[in-house]
Amino acid sequence: MASRSEIVLASLLLFLSCLAETSDANGVVLFSSLPNTLEMIVSPHKPEQVMKPAEGSWTFGGTLKAGEDKLSISWRLNQSFSAGTTDSGYKTIKVKLCYAPVSQVDRGWRKTVDNLAKDKTCQFKIETRPYKHVCDSFYTQCTHRLVLPCGLEGGSASKWKYIDWTIKRDVPSASYFVRAYAYDGAGVAVAYGQSTGPKKNYNIFEVQGITGRHKTLDVVSICFSAFSVLSLVGFFVVEKTRAKPT
Amino acid sequence: MEVEATTVMESNSQPQKFALPVDSDHKATQFWLFSIAKPHMRAFHLSWVSFFMCFVSTFAAPPLIPIIRDNLNLTSTDIGNAGIASVSGAVFARIAMGTACDLFGPRLASASLILVTAPAVFLFSMASSPISFLLLRFFVGFSLATFVSTQFWMSSMFSANVVGTANGVAGGWGNLGGGATQLIMPLVFGLIRDIGATKFTAWRIAFQIPALFQMLSAVAILLFGQDMPDGNYHRLEKSGDKPKDKFTSVFWHGITNYRGWILALTYGYCFGVELTVDNIIAEYFYDRFNLKLHTAGIIAATFGLANIVSRPAGGIVSDLVSKRFGMRGRLWTLFVVQTIGGVLCVILGQIGSLSGSIAVMILFSLFCQGACGLTFGVVPFVSRRSLGVISGMTGGGGNVGAVLTQLIFFKGSKYSKETGITLMGVMIICCTLPMTLIHFPQWGGMFLGPSSGKAATEEDYYMSEWSTTEKEKGYHHASVKFAENSRSERGKAASITRPSDEISPTHV
Repeated sequence: MASRSEIVLASLLLFLSCLAETSDANGVVLFSSLPNTLEMIVSPHKPEQVMKPAEGSWTFGGTLKAGEDKLSISWRLNQSFSAGTTDSGYKTIKVKLCYAPVSQVDRGWRKTVDNLAKDKTCQFKIETRPYKHVCDSFYTQCTHRLVLPCGLEGGSASKWKYIDWTIKRDVPSASYFVRAYAYDGAGVAVAYGQSTGPKKNYNIFEVQGITGRHKTLDVVSICFSAFSVLSLVGFFVVEKTRAKPT
Repeated sequence: MEVEATTVMESNSQPQKFALPVDSDHKATQFWLFSIAKPHMRAFHLSWVSFFMCFVSTFAAPPLIPIIRDNLNLTSTDIGNAGIASVSGAVFARIAMGTACDLFGPRLASASLILVTAPAVFLFSMASSPISFLLLRFFVGFSLATFVSTQFWMSSMFSANVVGTANGVAGGWGNLGGGATQLIMPLVFGLIRDIGATKFTAWRIAFQIPALFQMLSAVAILLFGQDMPDGNYHRLEKSGDKPKDKFTSVFWHGITNYRGWILALTYGYCFGVELTVDNIIAEYFYDRFNLKLHTAGIIAATFGLANIVSRPAGGIVSDLVSKRFGMRGRLWTLFVVQTIGGVLCVILGQIGSLSGSIAVMILFSLFCQGACGLTFGVVPFVSRRSLGVISGMTGGGGNVGAVLTQLIFFKGSKYSKETGITLMGVMIICCTLPMTLIHFPQWGGMFLGPSSGKAATEEDYYMSEWSTTEKEKGYHHASVKFAENSRSERGKAASITRPSDEISPTHV
């Protein structure tokens, strides 16, 4: 093990080089410059929502309901990178729900733009956490979840972190994937990871948003509408009966 | 004249007293803005308030689009199509409304339309797809036909010397709804959401508010309004004071009057342009100058809010000019103001600075909306018998202009928005030129004076709309009175009697 001061120096150098790569003179961070160093896996909670097309692989089936269903989101530093050096600059992880390309077509307000400050792909915040590459203690609940408890993976330096997230009620109907951004101490994005590939064409799941309709509201508006038409009819009837005597 | 007066007196139980000074037709010769005296000023306030509510309802969706598009999974194409649908319904509705006013009176015609379109606003609560959204916006758009009943009602209540003012203020303050809604709806939505509803429910509840007010304004019209200074059509027809007219004749005399068609075209390039700009200007400022959506929305609202003064000013100027120069003055002023509006539109597309753009946009709104007010200083004189049809054709032409302009210049990515705006300005200038062709035999046109010869009086012009049989039955009396009262359109210089003036009203 290197001495503490050497680790600090190495981290600092790495941090500075990361910074130089990912932002230009104006502080504009481009997505294309971020290294994909985080692995992410997203899985649903209900067993019937998991499909296994082939041995060893699984994917989503069915639609998740906003406000009801949960997602299990897990991430860790990609094992091909060395923990402690690559991720030494990572201070915070922000996990976000992002629109898949099929839900961005003909919708300029969800456009993907390289400049992260103007990018509108990921509009829903799931979780913000301080980044620790030492594992937190947690436990598994569902057997189909791919996350193993801390300590059972036998010696790997970087453990899976996971969260359970109930899909918020205001998430609209669309197709999504999940992305995590790693930020440094200055709040600048330095790395990312996502639950799908670079072309975003697999592991895309659908969410069914709430309609916002309520039976009570439907009944109230139908009653008002009927009243509107009936008051017109009633008025005509009154006018006719009043006009008769003259 | 005396024979006629006695007949009128006998059929009414007592002579009518009016709060405002009136002419022989009992139309008010002054416009008292802060009075609600019946029937004239009451009609004014009922008509502009109900028209305002209809505008608020029709344009209630645009400020809430960011919420609605996620709830209903709309694409940009869906949103654009719904926008075009919202103004296209009114094209035929306005012509139908014009005819209905001629036959049934503005009170019944407008209240019926408003009460029948209010359900479309209430039922936004049940919208569930792009198609239902488009259909709802289409049907709500029909309510914009209340513009025609507003103008018709004002033309029935106010005399020639103030009709431009009455039309302009009523039309302008109604149009205000298009700007006010950009501020009202987000406010109402925010309140409901803060009370506890989720945003996808809050917008649905928010739509009930304009719908309720729309419905209440129609009920007020039915309870407190009156078609003409002397009473409602139904009662007047029963007592024989007003003959019941035939749909085919009314419609025919309207559509065969070429002046109605020319005004329909020119109105398409002041009011139609106003509607188009309402739909695209927020996006233009947002994209070109990188403003926040909220800021761009406020600028968009300003364009519509200018109506509070610009359209009324157009009407007032029309009446002022007519005092000195008569109908020829009205036509010239309209032509000049609308052409300047076109030039300003061309400039707007070319300007690259934000403050310059805002300044030009405000000037442009003043001239464009002023031209709208000036147009309806001319419309009441084109026909007396088919006033409603002419008003409807002109009003409908406005909406056609909006649909056409949006389809040609602002759909898809063929032209950038700034090029589209410049080209729209060029089109305004071209489509204003036909105004030079309008000629009234009794007053003249832009380039020619009144026709010389025997059949060139106001009476002849308005009497030509009635056949001999109809004149024998005495149907044309209202036109006679109107013709007399419209002599002021000769202007000061021509107030000396002309040789063709030695006539007496041709009633049997």
